[in-house]
Amino acid sequence: MKAKVGVYVCECGPNISEKVDIDKILETLPGLEEYREIELVVKRFGLLCSGDGKTFLEDEINNNGLTHLVLGACSPRDHDKTFIGVCKKTSLNPFLYKIINIREHCAWIISDKDKATEKAITYIRAGINRVLFQSALLEKKLDINPDVLIIGGGIAGMEAALSLAARDRTVYLVEKDDHLGGKAVLLGGLLPRQGGGPAKIREKIESVLGNDMIKVYLESELEGVIGFLGNFEVIVGSPGDEEKKDLKVGAIIVATGSGLADPAILEGLDYSKTDEVITSMDAERMFSKEGKISLKSGGDPKSVALIHCVGREEKGYCSRICCNYMIKIAGYLKDQSADMKVTEFHRGLCLPDKADQGFQKEAEGRGVEFKRVRELTITGTNVRYEGMDGKSEGLKFDMVILAPALEPSEGTEGMADLLGVPLSESGYYQEIHQTTNPVATSIEGVFVVGAAHSPKGITDSMLFAQASAGKILSQLIPGGKITPEIKVSEILEAYCTGCGNCLDVCVYGAIYYDEGRGISVVNEAVCRGCGNCFGSCPSGALRTKHFTNTQLYEEMREAIR
Amino acid sequence: MSHSENVLIIGAGLAGMTAGLELAHAGKKVHLVERLPLIGGKVIKDEESFPNLECSTCMVAPVQQDVLQNPNIVTMTYSSVEKIEGEAGAFHVTIKKNARYVSMTDCIGCGMCYEPCPVSQKNEWEENLGDVKAIYVPCAGALPNVPVIDAQICLKLTGKEECSACADSCMFGAIKLDDTDEMVEIDVGAIVIATGAGNYDASKLPQLGYGKLPGVYTPFEFERLFASNGPTLGELTLRDSEKNPEKVVILHCVGREEVGYCSSVCCMYSMKFAHFIKKKLPDAKIFNIYSDVCVVDKNYQKFFKKVEGADTKMLFSPTIDGVKVSGNGSGMKVSYRGGDGADESLDADMVILATAVVPDPEVGTLAEMVGLELDRHGFFAVKDDVAGSVETTREGLFVAGTAEGPKDVQTAVIQAEAVVGRVMSYLGKVTG
Amino acid sequence: MQEKMENQELDQFKPKIVGFLCNWCTYAAADLAGSSKMEIDPALTVIRVMCSSRVDHNLVLTTFFSGADGVLIAGCHPGDCHYGAGNYYARRRYALLKKVMESLGLESERLKLSWISAAEGNRYAEVVNSFSEKIRQLGPNPINKMSGL
Repeated sequence: MKAKVGVYVCECGPNISEKVDIDKILETLPGLEEYREIELVVKRFGLLCSGDGKTFLEDEINNNGLTHLVLGACSPRDHDKTFIGVCKKTSLNPFLYKIINIREHCAWIISDKDKATEKAITYIRAGINRVLFQSALLEKKLDINPDVLIIGGGIAGMEAALSLAARDRTVYLVEKDDHLGGKAVLLGGLLPRQGGGPAKIREKIESVLGNDMIKVYLESELEGVIGFLGNFEVIVGSPGDEEKKDLKVGAIIVATGSGLADPAILEGLDYSKTDEVITSMDAERMFSKEGKISLKSGGDPKSVALIHCVGREEKGYCSRICCNYMIKIAGYLKDQSADMKVTEFHRGLCLPDKADQGFQKEAEGRGVEFKRVRELTITGTNVRYEGMDGKSEGLKFDMVILAPALEPSEGTEGMADLLGVPLSESGYYQEIHQTTNPVATSIEGVFVVGAAHSPKGITDSMLFAQASAGKILSQLIPGGKITPEIKVSEILEAYCTGCGNCLDVCVYGAIYYDEGRGISVVNEAVCRGCGNCFGSCPSGALRTKHFTNTQLYEEMREAIR
Repeated sequence: MSHSENVLIIGAGLAGMTAGLELAHAGKKVHLVERLPLIGGKVIKDEESFPNLECSTCMVAPVQQDVLQNPNIVTMTYSSVEKIEGEAGAFHVTIKKNARYVSMTDCIGCGMCYEPCPVSQKNEWEENLGDVKAIYVPCAGALPNVPVIDAQICLKLTGKEECSACADSCMFGAIKLDDTDEMVEIDVGAIVIATGAGNYDASKLPQLGYGKLPGVYTPFEFERLFASNGPTLGELTLRDSEKNPEKVVILHCVGREEVGYCSSVCCMYSMKFAHFIKKKLPDAKIFNIYSDVCVVDKNYQKFFKKVEGADTKMLFSPTIDGVKVSGNGSGMKVSYRGGDGADESLDADMVILATAVVPDPEVGTLAEMVGLELDRHGFFAVKDDVAGSVETTREGLFVAGTAEGPKDVQTAVIQAEAVVGRVMSYLGKVTG
Repeated sequence: MQEKMENQELDQFKPKIVGFLCNWCTYAAADLAGSSKMEIDPALTVIRVMCSSRVDHNLVLTTFFSGADGVLIAGCHPGDCHYGAGNYYARRRYALLKKVMESLGLESERLKLSWISAAEGNRYAEVVNSFSEKIRQLGPNPINKMSGL
């Protein structure tokens, strides 16, 4: 059957009609009919995006039995969706339509009317040529599973679980330890702006354990995962237990928390041998158990040095929470004895919350001394430092408390590998977009929250957890379906040599190697259609739908005819 | 009163848009109210965002387009919330749509009407660095791409003259000089406040010379000066002159002591500015005067160090309080106290003040209307006993972004997404 | 005499340039240049692709073999790619292509890769105009000369 292509040029008021000679376009185009063996319907219209324009197009498609539609109008960024909507009201598949941008790319940028007209004809001819080689594509809808797997039962994992369970989602919470609560439950106290104390964390654990929608697997780990957003299959097992649990979920939240840098990283400090030097976590544990911080040799310290930024330079990032918790620990010490000499050695205070500076001033008011230093070495409990004025001084303390940098928790690399999520230079998981999509990863349906995402404390961990719950609740509606991208890549089995180049370049992990057939295969539910794999294929096996070679070649050939 | 599943979002910056899109995706009907004629918020004023120096327009334009084209989102620009009645789950909201004098449905955004308009004024959106006509869009590429007429200066609307130059130039009959304010009433189950924040008024610190010395800039003035879609098309020319700056001082923590908190973003954008200037003017000398360093994300310090090493000299001062900027011939002199306590000074022809993030100036009116208390700094407070909350002290009301306090774009987006989760749960609870 | 003829040819030479623009950044910049009514050389015809990484060797070489005098590939700035890292791949492929072109006797200046963000309408105009001028100086694609086109 001969293709019947409708070509409609929008006047866009004076915007196109005054800048290009539309009548000349209409006269010139029919010359294509013989050359391409097609039938053309060529018309102009005042404003195609108006209500009248849309009705006009709908009637034209129906009455003329158009097989293809080409519009000479404005940018697809303005009105592609408008005209796709028109096509959807008719029997014409929207992938057999193309909008040609003769306004922004001709009428508005070429002041010579003849040249602009010539250019517009070139664009429209190229568009017609392309659309003839376009294929009808159909939307696919996939069923989804609204349940969620959460890896890590710390504050972030628990918060995500409770947020999801509140909306009746079944949550599988997998924790490798024998208890929930992560690092938060070990603390001696919380910041005032976090409201309440450790009892609050224990209450949260109780709420999780008491929630029927949350199934908790302690001493368990994720062992395998396949699938994609809405349809993951995961295997959860316990070391030493043969029996594995196969679970089906729609999304996975990684909330594996964070580790602490080994203070041995600090040059000149032999932490393992120095008795009265402890880490902030040691101090928290001690305060939590005994209600006070004592010397290992017994008795109360009379002077304590709090050392910030331990390992910061080596790690290459600020850990965000240390300044605040070190001020909190100074508070424990001042509570213990108001006369105690408490000195914070810092390298510039990081107090990012609106409440933090007040908290710091309060500590200062209680006699906590803040010393800004350039350099610092610790020998035993002697602190030698260079101040901002360039002068060096040495001070002796009874006790030294270190704030080691946060670092990715143990097992992060293995987990990243298992999930297919890349790691950033800092060793933390890499989010898909730092600013606009910070909890999502390149694997759609896998989210990273809490201190597994980047150094963060309780407040931000909870926010990130809630954010992941928000994304899951809005993306996976029970009984709903998801519509994956249609313009995806595909691999033609006959041409594929299974070299694996495309697997390496795909950011989304959308391509896998099928060992049985010895070829690479695109998972269409995961592919976003960028076409990068296409450029990596040495054997011509790849095709990116709606941006195929043929389509681009035909458009290009007419563009330079 | 029956409960509603619909959501009102006040403020169409990145936080409001993100929350709106995700709630719409979940099938909620969203009313997005923005007081400016365009959506996008503060982020679109930045040419590039830290730490990746990513083009903000490229990052946000697809979000803006998605918002405007989403059938579940009713976007009302140039509008404000006037009244909120009822209770959580069943709010009755009155919104005033200010007369735009240009039809949102008929206008195609061709811009033919600007040229003939005979009156112009400073463009507030461009931080008064450029001019606009009485009929205008705030910036090239504004979305929605529909102009608005400023009734305060339009000859016809002020009654000064029978002018119809814009209407005559419009082939689409989109100019409606008889347009009037319109009241719209809607019912919603939940309300999200995402009204953003303002910047500390630097003229409150007269010793820094802002408003008197033309070479002193606020952060957003600098952003627009640098922006390739801004008034100078990105040419870094000094105010009231055609000259490029040769010596630039960026002063951190302006207003920090006065407001009583660290704004957590200034260190990063100050370093971004240093990098921007060095990129365009490789011979320029750039100094940052700072006291603390707040670079709170896993990727921030890396950027900070890179700029510190390559583009700027960091000058420590124990306190920013003592800094003075004074006129010095055609240039300026910046005096400050050095690390050793001695008085130091620098010559400069451009000074950028990294002013604190402060509550939006209109926050009080809104707080009163929605019945919410503000915290001691004037930001919206979250429920006091819940860390990491996005719920306000009033049921059914949520807050996201810098309306809650200073924060970077990432955290604003995180709060918006957290709000989505909370709103979904909340609506599920009240409507069953 | 010879020189004069060549000059005449050059005067009449209307370069044909194809610009493969990424949907997210440079295509938007081209739109912004349009809505800002900037004057842009008509030598370039825009073809929209989703990502600069889609522009593979075959597409570029086929474009030259089909007679294009110049090819512009333009996408998001490094770090801005909508798909994470596509533009980095585009850059690598570009570097290799330049070498391939030289070995085929095509001036590698006929191929240009540029990063133009959605806000840089003016930069888009500058890049297209200066590239068109460059191609005008280079003259017709030697493949066209050879085949007598």
